[in-house]
Amino acid sequence: MSEVTSESASTTETAEAPVRTVPAAPPARHTGRLAGPLNALAPHAKIGMVVGGVLSIVGAYLAWSTFVLNEGAYPERATLTMFVEPFGVTGFRLHITLLGLATIVVALLRVPAKHRIVRGLGVGVTAVAVLNGLWITVEGGGLGAITASDGTVAFGSIVALVGGLVTVLSATAGGLEDKPVWEWKLAWWVEWILLLVVFVLILLLVAEVLTSGGQGGVVNPYAGVVFLSLLAALAGAFAALNASGLLTWVGEVSERHRVFSVVVLLLCALALPFTGAGTEYWMTVASNIGVYAATAIGLNIVVGLAGLLDLGYVAFLGIGAFVAANLSGAAASVIGIHVPFLLVMVISAVVAGIFGAIVGSPTLRVRGDYLAIVTLAFGEIFVRSAQNNIAGLTGGANAIPNIPQVALGSFQFNQSISLGPIQLPGGVMYYVAIVLLVAAVMLVFGNLKNSRLGRAWIAIREDEDAAAAMGIRTGPIKILAFLIGAMLAGFAGAFFAHKTAVVAYDSFRFLESVTLLAAVILGGMGTIPGAVLGASILFVLPEKLREFADYRLLLFGLALVLIMRFRPQGIIADKHRKAELAEDPEDAAKEAPGALPTEVK
Amino acid sequence: MSIFLSQIANGLMFGSLIALIAIGYTMVYGIITLINFAHGEIFMVGAYGGLATLTYWVPTAVVARWYFALPIALVAGALVSMLVAVAMERFAYRPLRNAPRLAPLITALGVSVALQEAVRVFYPGATAAIPFPPLFIQGAFVIPIGDGVVIRYTGILLIVVSLGLAFGLERFVERTRLGRAMRATSQDRDTARLMGIDPDRVIVLTFAIGGALAGVAGVLYGSYLNNINIDMGFQNGIFAFTAAVLGGIGNIRGAVVGGLVIGLVRALGGQYLPGGTAYDYVWIFVVLIIVLVFRPQGFFGESERVRA
Amino acid sequence: MSRTRKVATTAALLAGVLALSACSTNREEASSGGGGSCDTSKGTLVVGFVAPLSGSLSALGLGMKNSTDLAVNQANQACKVPGYRLALQAEDDQATAQIAGQAATKLASDPNVVGVIGTLNSSTAQTVAPILAQKKIVEISPANTNPALTQGDNYATAPARPNATYFRTATTDAIQGPFAAQFLVQKQGKKNIAVIDDGKTYGAGLADQFAAEAQKLGATIAARLKVGEKDTDFSGVITQIRGANPDAVYYGGEYPVAGPLSKQLADAGLNIPLMGGDGIVDSTYAQLGGREGDFATNVGAPPEQQPSAKAFIDAYAAAGYSEPYSAYGALTYDAANVLIDGLSKTVGNGTFSDASRDGLISAVQATNLQGATGAISFDQFGDTTNKVLTVYTVQGGKFTPLETGTYAAS
Repeated sequence: MSEVTSESASTTETAEAPVRTVPAAPPARHTGRLAGPLNALAPHAKIGMVVGGVLSIVGAYLAWSTFVLNEGAYPERATLTMFVEPFGVTGFRLHITLLGLATIVVALLRVPAKHRIVRGLGVGVTAVAVLNGLWITVEGGGLGAITASDGTVAFGSIVALVGGLVTVLSATAGGLEDKPVWEWKLAWWVEWILLLVVFVLILLLVAEVLTSGGQGGVVNPYAGVVFLSLLAALAGAFAALNASGLLTWVGEVSERHRVFSVVVLLLCALALPFTGAGTEYWMTVASNIGVYAATAIGLNIVVGLAGLLDLGYVAFLGIGAFVAANLSGAAASVIGIHVPFLLVMVISAVVAGIFGAIVGSPTLRVRGDYLAIVTLAFGEIFVRSAQNNIAGLTGGANAIPNIPQVALGSFQFNQSISLGPIQLPGGVMYYVAIVLLVAAVMLVFGNLKNSRLGRAWIAIREDEDAAAAMGIRTGPIKILAFLIGAMLAGFAGAFFAHKTAVVAYDSFRFLESVTLLAAVILGGMGTIPGAVLGASILFVLPEKLREFADYRLLLFGLALVLIMRFRPQGIIADKHRKAELAEDPEDAAKEAPGALPTEVK
Repeated sequence: MSIFLSQIANGLMFGSLIALIAIGYTMVYGIITLINFAHGEIFMVGAYGGLATLTYWVPTAVVARWYFALPIALVAGALVSMLVAVAMERFAYRPLRNAPRLAPLITALGVSVALQEAVRVFYPGATAAIPFPPLFIQGAFVIPIGDGVVIRYTGILLIVVSLGLAFGLERFVERTRLGRAMRATSQDRDTARLMGIDPDRVIVLTFAIGGALAGVAGVLYGSYLNNINIDMGFQNGIFAFTAAVLGGIGNIRGAVVGGLVIGLVRALGGQYLPGGTAYDYVWIFVVLIIVLVFRPQGFFGESERVRA
Repeated sequence: MSRTRKVATTAALLAGVLALSACSTNREEASSGGGGSCDTSKGTLVVGFVAPLSGSLSALGLGMKNSTDLAVNQANQACKVPGYRLALQAEDDQATAQIAGQAATKLASDPNVVGVIGTLNSSTAQTVAPILAQKKIVEISPANTNPALTQGDNYATAPARPNATYFRTATTDAIQGPFAAQFLVQKQGKKNIAVIDDGKTYGAGLADQFAAEAQKLGATIAARLKVGEKDTDFSGVITQIRGANPDAVYYGGEYPVAGPLSKQLADAGLNIPLMGGDGIVDSTYAQLGGREGDFATNVGAPPEQQPSAKAFIDAYAAAGYSEPYSAYGALTYDAANVLIDGLSKTVGNGTFSDASRDGLISAVQATNLQGATGAISFDQFGDTTNKVLTVYTVQGGKFTPLETGTYAAS
């Protein structure tokens, strides 16, 4: 057991076990173990874990709320008491049962990294119990709702919470092992089948997450919390899987069969309409995610690869959209011609690219923070000009409405399709188109990143002067970053115009640029799937949590601060950047004026 | 002629307000080279802080007399802004002191959004514009040139307070021990530390002074225009940053001159350039881009300090 | 304090809190809530709502949401739709078209949604209306003013209704602007008018229509200027106006800008009245700087003379919402009532299903209702036929009605 493990164990323990009272004793004596009362638990860790698991399950089977909440039963069969119906638990209580069962099984078996896995499961139980207990308390008007009131008792949440905490504490006390590394190699076809199964499971999981809790709204007031609870349970399960080292292994397998993985992933993405998430609503949301993901990938080239911060990036999406709107044959456009959609996409991309090069041209003289401000100024100029209907091209405050749907012959993209007995929802063609578009954009990005040009961008990001000294023509290459990034946004803009059917200046304000930037950062700067993941999270969360719309931006702002503080490399960290973003105490010394230009990262 | 002079006066009044905010930007950037995007929101918070004090804690009889109400509101606004600025430094920026440059900048954007929304959600009635009581002699005097050049008393207050504070601050930075510590820290933090200066204290002081000035600006803004809204911080903050860059970042005198130039560009651009007032902001940004491209060190910046 | 004592204190505190709140619940023994004494056995029908509920336009959006909520609650209490409970489902559109599209699609895929109230912005309506029309869901907007929404892209030359499901209780700019011009030019004798707007759909449209009619009536447009929708310093604009020596200012936009603009006009020595549309009629207008003698037009007859309007204002106050009903409150309340009224006629004692949607559309089309803003009915395009407008003037810090009239083209 290494020093590092013991350190991480003790920090987690402080964060998750408020019960602890005595500070950790010197680590030398307790390597890998926790000090204080918990230390006494260590010999009984196995029993503790089993007890925790059992308590979790018992909690799941107890009643959770003393009465049926005024807004309707939450959870379903809220007052269902223990073992009235052995298989009657559903929803989050089922999740807790499963996590608890897994806890017991893993605790009793000889599994590598047993304690780490169990801790993940315990954290899941704890989070689900806290979340739902709090919710019932708040909705039920006080703690009476989850304890005892008017002769009924409902201690489900408290028992489950205790179970979760006991699990976490015993697992931690048992000593956390290092994550095991698996080096199994199977026959290629076995690995293929395995990957196929994994990706299909991911697809089903995504569909489940999207549809969890139903669509929300007044008829279904608990959609938000059901969704959050599912996320918490999944987080626990994933922590456990990750601790077992299996996730890393699957990642390595898919890396071995790269092309196969990419193809299967693409097919899975295209299969989403066949799952429970195949509603017109989710197709619309997914199409918007696609638009923003494609734009974010463009931004990723500029910020993530070339290290040029752009704060007005959404303007390129806007330019693409306005170009497409003007060429769509919409009545409000000045240029009353209708150009085929594919051609429109190309034209939009080219025009946006030209503007990208113009906006990027100050990079020849301006660097770093100042460049960020120049791009912000361009963004503001764009919004202001669009609002004032510059040259009659943007429709000003009236926008450009009634942009016709994309059509293949007489088939319009917003219609629904019947494939034999299966009825696919309206908008599914837009979804298919945007998935293909994003896939193409990702392909472009992936190839660029590993090309000569991509390496030149990264070199510029690392140290522009050194790059120039190595013979890289930094000027044109930086402008090229802006040009290509803007072209991707322009593509997406053309799509956006037709899908949304109206292009208005207020879709392209500063906040949208910040959102795009947040998507790139959240997902992981410089990585290919990062931007897509970031855009998905930033769209799905507000959709699933619409009842908290009032706090959307507040939470968004705080989230930005917290991400920068605790995980600046984003969810999917770029291998190369991981090193850069680690805190470097010497950085402070480099802040002498002369060194500054190179520090923009 | 009178139109031209009036626009000059308008520009100077708006410009001196921007200058007051710009000083905070320029000081923070000078010391820790951070574009503190949230500084505009500090200005906004100051206005709401001053208003809250007048609305909830001061008897109306006192509010009605401007010579009582004005100092109270100014001090309250400055205090609220100062507290928020210091807290922001402590909890958002200090942990990132040695992080790559992008991290604090994005944090600043996050703080900016969060502060604006916090006020919107938690200040009663802040979803819309809120009336701000007049805190100075109302009305205007007219200089009899042509149709007359109208100058409002509150505008004069704005100019006097802004220039006065800027002058005082510059003396402070030039003459006092603390001021010298600030200059030393901005030039080389590590050497300053070796000389016995605590850079953390200096940085906190910088945020506190910048915040206080922004709070004063917020209250003056409310009193000058009689209403405040949650969006006032972002837009004026951008202008103030532009002013700081124009003047040469890190330079207090530059920030003041930059602010006045911004005011004049907006007033005269709206009057004489094509597109009129609909495009007056655009001209500010055009000037910003031109200056950054052709003279990135600004009017007063020393060329070796160019960090762009 | 030692660590142990700290823990002990915390525990004691927690125990205290637990003891205090131990048995508290908000248990109601009512049926499924909200229905009061009505029969709600047939389930819940949803009134959708789309407007900005977050961000800087939320003041208007929240006022609209509360007004809809009020109408829905009243309908539930009065058992307007027998057998059903009505519920409001408010969705945030963040004032952008793509999010509005998502919200509309979400509502459209819920079979319980009978109709949608909203949106606020015309640009969001452009994307919402077709989505709802596809599913035959009625949309009634209290705030959209763009004529293309009801009369098609060629509204000036060949009006044609694009969506049979789209209605609005808001008057288009084409009525309010000219009405104001007739008042200001003919009744007040103003001949040299400066026209300012905020560059938004509502304001710019209103100002354009006003300017056109005023010129037709023989007045000069002394200046035609724009201010930013978020601006508060108008000295530049006022200096420009001042040179033209106008005898009145017409402002197309909303009260947060109009109030300070009026005050700054006076400060600059221009003691001329400012006039605006319904967007500036707000209780805080005078506090924000609006002066005695400023004018505004508003839709419908004054509430004081109209019990229905008075009833709305009182009910809104009694309901205790935390936000004021704002500029579009009364129109939203009317829109919601039109929908509920149509619903109660369509459903009668039967049940609501997808097959009822056509009936609901015709019922709304045939609306004849006395609302908070006056008599409501719709023309063949879905526009309100309510052309009664009232001119208000600021007296004693409040908008007081000056005269009421019906708009007639000059």
